[in-house]
Amino acid sequence: MKLFEYQAKEAFAAAGMAVPKSVLATDEATVVSANVGWPRVLKSQVLRGGRGKAGLVVLARDAGAAGSEARRLFASEHNVKRILVEEAVAFVREIYLAITLDPLTGSALVLACAEGGVDIEELAKTAPDRIMRQPVTMQEGLRPFQARIIAYGLGLDGKQAKSVATVLEQLWQVFRSHDAELAEINPLFMLADGSAVAGDGKLAIDDNAMFRHAALEPGRDYYDSDIAFEAAKEGIPYLQFDGDISLMCAGAGLTTTVYDLVNYEGGSVANYLEFGGPNYRKAVRAMELCLGNNPKVVLIVTFGTIARADVMATGIAEAIAKLKPRCPIVACIRGTGEEEAQATLRAAGLEPLSDTEEAVRSAVRLAQGGTR
Amino acid sequence: MSIFIDRTTRVVVQGITGSEGAFWTKHMIDIGTTVVAGVTPGKEGQNVEGVPVFNTVRAAVAATGADASMIFVPPRLTMDAVMEALDAGIRTIVTVADGIPLHEAAMIRAAALRLGARIVGGNTSGVISPGQAMMGMFPFWIERVYKPGRIGVMTRSGSLTNEVTAMVVKGGYGVSSLIGVGGDPIPGSRFAEYLPDFQADCETDAVVIIGELGGTMEEEVAEAIRSGSFRKPLVAFIGGRTAPVGRRMGHAGAISSGGSGSALDKARLLESVGALVADRPARVGDLLAEALSGRKASAGGRR
Repeated sequence: MKLFEYQAKEAFAAAGMAVPKSVLATDEATVVSANVGWPRVLKSQVLRGGRGKAGLVVLARDAGAAGSEARRLFASEHNVKRILVEEAVAFVREIYLAITLDPLTGSALVLACAEGGVDIEELAKTAPDRIMRQPVTMQEGLRPFQARIIAYGLGLDGKQAKSVATVLEQLWQVFRSHDAELAEINPLFMLADGSAVAGDGKLAIDDNAMFRHAALEPGRDYYDSDIAFEAAKEGIPYLQFDGDISLMCAGAGLTTTVYDLVNYEGGSVANYLEFGGPNYRKAVRAMELCLGNNPKVVLIVTFGTIARADVMATGIAEAIAKLKPRCPIVACIRGTGEEEAQATLRAAGLEPLSDTEEAVRSAVRLAQGGTR
Repeated sequence: MSIFIDRTTRVVVQGITGSEGAFWTKHMIDIGTTVVAGVTPGKEGQNVEGVPVFNTVRAAVAATGADASMIFVPPRLTMDAVMEALDAGIRTIVTVADGIPLHEAAMIRAAALRLGARIVGGNTSGVISPGQAMMGMFPFWIERVYKPGRIGVMTRSGSLTNEVTAMVVKGGYGVSSLIGVGGDPIPGSRFAEYLPDFQADCETDAVVIIGELGGTMEEEVAEAIRSGSFRKPLVAFIGGRTAPVGRRMGHAGAISSGGSGSALDKARLLESVGALVADRPARVGDLLAEALSGRKASAGGRR
């Protein structure tokens, strides 16, 4: 789960890092009255990247500009609910720092670049040698000497080098204590007196470790739609799209493949929903979520092992009886217990298919007003 | 010969008294796997399907000579279970848990490298050599999927494996060994690490990889082909070709970040080194036929 910038900065500050003076505003009046001096930076709290280019981070020199910009941001299509109002920091240079994990070695990886504010993914492609990489073993953690290798390697000296080494140790604490996939400061401002201030903050927490971070449980504003939020509360993987075929499939790989096949056949997906794995007994809830999109077709494709076909079929029959869907349902259920599953589906009035592509083609035909 | 396990592998099942552990232990024995011990703390002296249960892996190994561990414990307990197996000297491990915390998955991967262990998973169905043995959860009795044969399969997915492997069988082939490395962002082992085994295996004619967007595992396979270290025909299916950039679709390990890691980039790279890439599962059988006939035709000219 990605955190908002203000949450990342709260975590940074709790680890002892300097962050700009700020006020979190949910209305225009607070944006104007915030006691952070002038000029000030208005930073929309949205999870998408490239906020600067999208005009979601702006400098305001006076109350008039702050008010009109706040109105524009709150009214924008980007679903801005909060604006972080920050003092404009006078810096002499900017640096990039991040900690992530290297799947090949199982080590953490500290990434650093002498130029901050860069698009690190772009830089990794075009000029990879400008990014310093320092592996850190998870068990031992970041050693002070490793922080110094990076700080001096960036061409810093004196107090600047010491400040950056300290920030790295603080960032490491945040990375570990938050089970982070990524902890990033881009840019880190270097001030004239040699101190460092985190200008921006990105923190993405591993979903599998959320049980250790209950206080950060995501609210409605983290999701694309009400249904996506409902699905998340159930622990059902879900993505909102705007087409007319609702996918109710089992298994991440298979659901992704069915999504591809629907697109190949010229259909459009209303939602991606996966009720396999630990959710295979939740067919009723899954179908309820799917029907919430008023799809033209619900397409069910499974080929489960642990997620038993007979159990899923029983759930689907129950869902049909309870929810009485008005749109057609195309079902292709295979795997453990498949004979029983097919019998259950027939008894529920469905014509179960056994070939994925046949099921996809049937769903696309139905969505386009044709017949099975 | 099979990859990873055969009937001589002596398997200890960690978490054998749980419902999944007990259920799949029975099926592992049914297919022919030699399951010699189970471990559940506090339940030493019991038995499951005739398999004796011990309190610790160390005790199980001492009493039975177990040399591989099948781990059925919940995700939050998985790292400890893996470390216990490693501590007892076991170097062949399958862990199926779905939901291992990422930092712990990283430590598992690091331990595997440090000790030269092979750890398959998490978030996988495991490993099977149809007709011989399995460590994991495969409905091997469904013959249109798990037919013994001469095609090696490696996969990041569970349900998609059934889908694609059914197409291997429909094409007239069968499976020699199937390794599910799992769908997590940091698996214990990776596709390319099994290629030398498939290369050396005289019972494997070709390999099918079932990949998806995100990560670099398919790129590592392409590199093994390019460098000449893997020389058998290879067919790939990669899910997520039409997935929207930047949204997490599929497994947690699968996120396209614009350009790198996209399913299309992976497909193009594999094709550029001579692998055949299916755009849909149903094409896999035909491409295998093409790859295998091509090999015969140019057998003399191939290194």
